[in-house]
Amino acid sequence: MSKFTAALAATALAIALTACGSTKSGTSASNPGGSSPASGSALTVADVAPFSGPDAALGPTYLASCYGATSAINAAGGVLGHKLACKSVDTRGDPADAVPAVNQMFATTPSLALVIGCTSDEAASVVPIINAHKMTSFCMTGESEFDHVHYPYFYRLVPPDLEESYAMVVIAKELHYKRIALAFGNDIGSQTFVQPAIAALKKAGITLTTSQTLDLKATTFRTEAEAIIGSKPDAIMTEALGSADPTLFSEIKQLSGKVIPIIGTSAAISPAFFKSAAAAVGAGAFASTFHADNLVTETSGPAYQAFSRALLSQQGKVPGVTGNFTTYLSAPGGVHLYDGINLAALAMLMAKSTSPATYGPDILKIGDGVPGAQVCYSFTQCASELKAGKSIRYEGPGGPTIFDSYHDSTGIFQIDTYSSSGQVNVTGNISPAQLRVLAG
Amino acid sequence: MNSYYLINLLIYAAVDAMACLGLSQQFGIAGVTNFGFIIFQAAGGYAAAVLAMPSDSANGHFQSYIGGWHLPFPLPWLGAAVVGGALALPFTFLVGRRLRGDFAAVGLLVTAVLVNLLVTNYVPLLNGDAGISLIPEPLQGVLNAATSGYQWAFTAVAVILCAGVYLLVRRLTESPYGRTLRAMRDNDTVADSLGKDLRSLRTGVLVTGGAIAGLSGGILVSYITTWSPAAWGYAETVVLFAAVIIGGAGNHRGAVLGAVLVPVGFEEVTRFIPSSNNLPPNLIPSLEWVAIGLLIVIFLWFRPQGILPERKRAIALPAVAADVQSGADDPQELTQPTLARRSGAGSAGPDASPVVLRADGLTREFGGVRAVSDVSLTVRRGTLTGLIGPNGAGKSTLLAMLAGTLPPTSGTISCLGQDVTALPAFRRARVGLVRTFQLASEFKRLTVLENLLSAVPGNRGDSLAGAIRGRRYWGSDELAAIATAEALLRRFGLLEVAGQYAGDLSGGQRRLVEIMRALMTEPTVLLLDEPMAGVHPNLARRIGRELVALCRDGMTVLMVEHELAIMDEFCDPVIVMAEGTVLAEGTMAELRARTEVVEAYLVG
Amino acid sequence: MSLFLASLGFGLVTASVLAIAAVGFTLQFGVTDVLNLAYGAVMIAGAFIAYVINNAGLSVWVGLPVAVAVCSGGSVALNSLVYTPFQRRGASPITMVIVSLGVTLIIEFGVQAVAGGTSVSYHLAQGPTLQAGGLILTAVQLGVIALSLVVMAGVHGLLRYTKLGKAMRATAANRMLARTCGIRTGRVITLTWALTGALCGLAGVVFGIDSGSFDATSTDVFLVLILAAVFLGGPGQAYGAMLGAAVIGIATEVSAAFIPADYKYVIAFVILLVMLGIRPAGLLGARA
Repeated sequence: MSKFTAALAATALAIALTACGSTKSGTSASNPGGSSPASGSALTVADVAPFSGPDAALGPTYLASCYGATSAINAAGGVLGHKLACKSVDTRGDPADAVPAVNQMFATTPSLALVIGCTSDEAASVVPIINAHKMTSFCMTGESEFDHVHYPYFYRLVPPDLEESYAMVVIAKELHYKRIALAFGNDIGSQTFVQPAIAALKKAGITLTTSQTLDLKATTFRTEAEAIIGSKPDAIMTEALGSADPTLFSEIKQLSGKVIPIIGTSAAISPAFFKSAAAAVGAGAFASTFHADNLVTETSGPAYQAFSRALLSQQGKVPGVTGNFTTYLSAPGGVHLYDGINLAALAMLMAKSTSPATYGPDILKIGDGVPGAQVCYSFTQCASELKAGKSIRYEGPGGPTIFDSYHDSTGIFQIDTYSSSGQVNVTGNISPAQLRVLAG
Repeated sequence: MNSYYLINLLIYAAVDAMACLGLSQQFGIAGVTNFGFIIFQAAGGYAAAVLAMPSDSANGHFQSYIGGWHLPFPLPWLGAAVVGGALALPFTFLVGRRLRGDFAAVGLLVTAVLVNLLVTNYVPLLNGDAGISLIPEPLQGVLNAATSGYQWAFTAVAVILCAGVYLLVRRLTESPYGRTLRAMRDNDTVADSLGKDLRSLRTGVLVTGGAIAGLSGGILVSYITTWSPAAWGYAETVVLFAAVIIGGAGNHRGAVLGAVLVPVGFEEVTRFIPSSNNLPPNLIPSLEWVAIGLLIVIFLWFRPQGILPERKRAIALPAVAADVQSGADDPQELTQPTLARRSGAGSAGPDASPVVLRADGLTREFGGVRAVSDVSLTVRRGTLTGLIGPNGAGKSTLLAMLAGTLPPTSGTISCLGQDVTALPAFRRARVGLVRTFQLASEFKRLTVLENLLSAVPGNRGDSLAGAIRGRRYWGSDELAAIATAEALLRRFGLLEVAGQYAGDLSGGQRRLVEIMRALMTEPTVLLLDEPMAGVHPNLARRIGRELVALCRDGMTVLMVEHELAIMDEFCDPVIVMAEGTVLAEGTMAELRARTEVVEAYLVG
Repeated sequence: MSLFLASLGFGLVTASVLAIAAVGFTLQFGVTDVLNLAYGAVMIAGAFIAYVINNAGLSVWVGLPVAVAVCSGGSVALNSLVYTPFQRRGASPITMVIVSLGVTLIIEFGVQAVAGGTSVSYHLAQGPTLQAGGLILTAVQLGVIALSLVVMAGVHGLLRYTKLGKAMRATAANRMLARTCGIRTGRVITLTWALTGALCGLAGVVFGIDSGSFDATSTDVFLVLILAAVFLGGPGQAYGAMLGAAVIGIATEVSAAFIPADYKYVIAFVILLVMLGIRPAGLLGARA
């Protein structure tokens, strides 16, 4: 046997002995949050999301939100004597790359206290790891596998994609559309809408005129646009991220001379989307024919004001994030992760511990609220209520949370439209009952 | 201290090393550039997932995929290797034919992109872009996968499997089969003419590499518990190729080194670059790709052999007396039993036909131009027949058709009474009809001894199955071949350079190597294409004498040559060609007497 | 039926862009014997150069000649600094392919490093939409088709009637022989790369005009279409590339009328693989 082979075999043997040496039950991943960090040291909130690749816009959005939340928390005195700091972990939008990214994060971040982000691109591969490390995570994935799987340290404040499909159909019903065309992108986030949407349309008695899949790598969709026009729909239900949707809208307008009404998803509620869609077909024309479902987010009131103050104060202070921060005020990731950080921080205060195993149950208590709890709208407010010995219920810009047994809070849907200046208006609500009617 | 990151790196290193070993076998050893390599890893990953997953109703309908048989470990990994290997079979249409290397490479690259596109868009097959998740880890029902003990055990298994692959690949390469693969890599046309079935060899290499890639995919999938098209795109293929090129194609340690340096080292190093700066977030990954591109080009220019180049194989020659003879004219030395002619050639009974090679009405057209026009000839046993004619007469074309490297437009060829017109070159070589080439055609990166050994027919180790069985199986055949080669080398006086790369020799020496190599195939009919070109007259004469001696023992030679002195001295009969047809045939004296021959070609 | 006719019209536009690109690619191969896989990357670099100028306030049509000039010079540099030295060393065709892949990475991700990962689009009014006989095209799209026809005519004129064109054809057929005939093959090759580089830049800008939006990786798939067109017609055959572009351009768009649109490029992939497997010399190439 050559020396090289001998070396390889020796390595394998050594590894195997190490494996046998550690007992099966006891030695699980060391828990950075468990050992109480030295007082005065900073706690880290990690933003695990794509910062490069096709979904590169997501990571920075969540990072801005992190800075917003943690700056407000630090201004109010931090958590148990610790300040919070944000860290970005780039998953590159690929599950195989996300795994070492997360493992490296755990190896190099002893002060880690919370993970936020984890989109559909990588959640499937990283949530088990984060959970195995007994670390709390607030994730932005609508993937249905998380509807029913028990990950005790996993929390989700966004609805399953399934429900968003139903919400879109509810909107179609409300607007009395009889014929709907579907146009969804072929990536993870959008592919999962199609089958539930088709099933829900059938249940609602609405005719499906055509279902086009948009290849996000393509740069034109003329034939798809023509097929949609030819099928004569009343409206189009669509989600195709990036520039695909605006391209499709502009080609539909070119070919048919008019703008077909659009029903979009919560991903369409972002100023970047409005800007490119308005450029494609005209602001007025777009605004007057567009509806989207969105999770209820406040656009006024004390929660929103605290959120807005906190986030906007960070403009220019977040490394690598140079966009206009007002755009993040209505981005789903912006709102819900801000709430997630606040919930976790308050839970730590309540449990007087930074160990996820200890403060976990308190997240649920603060989110759902116990009877007689005082509603509060920002970390500062809630922290002082806690100090005064009251039991609290946190209600942030994302609205009230109702966690189910899988730590998913689906929230309530609302119907959003744009004004021709790009302002988001809420024109109605969708109740869970309306969604249940369409469920399979 | 948290060791999960280390475990992650070790597992990725093992998986990548395995993949690189498979790729190096294909690319570095066999010269098959498989730009679709990643598909095999992907297929293995999906196979392992599909075999290990429970049926989708148990997973809540959120994924749609075929299969779902919930098989226990290690069946999913076995399945992954089998699927990876089986997937190679449809690819052989792109490498089996005589397709230009770069065209085939492009075809494979495009196939990889196409498959990724199809899997992404056809959701019911493998759940489209979302892929398959919640893949059960090995022995998940019995052991707790979250413990560090389990993780270390997994790592150990991965490393052991990687070591196993390393040993397998090394066993394949250090065998006569491996030598044949390297010969095919160095010059596939010549390997073909020496009796190697290129298509079958390439298929074998694709299947082995595919199985290895599939296994690596299965291991990876069981570790990250999810698999989707994003994880196996065109980018991953480029990274693996860069790893093999940088580490050293054709050197198995180089493949492992490349895997550690590029997909693991390079990609992980960039994670440590602090993100607390105002650089746009996309910059580092983009520059990473630019760096990989630069590394590829720089290495190919300055150090194409990679960091660990392919080693020169030193084969021990049987111990011999110290006196090395050079040019001792003893024709008897050559007639040893190990150079016995094939049956039907040497021991010619009274009814053995005197005609060993016959062509009837051979024609070859190139776009309207007739290079060879209706040529018929017979070559008699034991003759050293010459073929002469001016440039453009069609001699080389005729030779190529006789040997099978060029198909005739019309006409038939028979060898030893058997119609070989439809036989491809490698089969003709196996029947005993062997050619040499006009231009330098030694296997440059094989030693002189290896060049000779590569031509030996019937070595049991010269097949995939034989190679797997190991040295114990083919050792004796190899020793016999070495003895034969050693005798030939001594005969032609090249014993001292037996251990040098054939490409490093002088022109005349290389020519001798080619002739010796052709002789190693034990040919019945040897077709020589200008063997004396550029060779010193003394050496040319020596070659002539050897050929005469071989013909006396029953071999037949048809030799294309320009050197009329050689024809005078050694060849009888001589065929004259001009403008694609046969002008005349006879001894040189007879030919000199015929005016049309003189006008066409001869001077004086 | 109307969908079929409409997609036929779209196919003509795609074919026009493809024709400009494929002719350049195939001539590069014909004269240098290198499959320049970095062609797509140079195209997108051209598209971005025009974008930068367009974004600064000038019209795309002003940016176009700049992009063409830069891509032309860049291609000449690419050949003389990278491909020729490798070829002089006797690099095998496979090595050349890998080298061109390395160059692709350098250029494509170099562009991405500078321009960022998000998609961009030109500020260009598409002009009125014209409908005739079932085809629906904007004024700009018609302009693209017209431009392509002009370029094809120009290439045809060059190859058939000019001394340079004849020298190019001779060099492509047999470089050794051309040199012995007195053709200065080195100069011919340089001029060919300058010319085809210009075509590449032009194709890139037109690609950008034709796309709703594009980013640094947008030409990855387009390169496969170029390869399909080139191999369908026959590598090295300029007229083959034109024919191939017409077929591939129309086939991909028309197929989207009948099969799910996300598979429309599959037909180009399949044609390419079939040609490689059955007749690598292409429809117009000489049978080996």
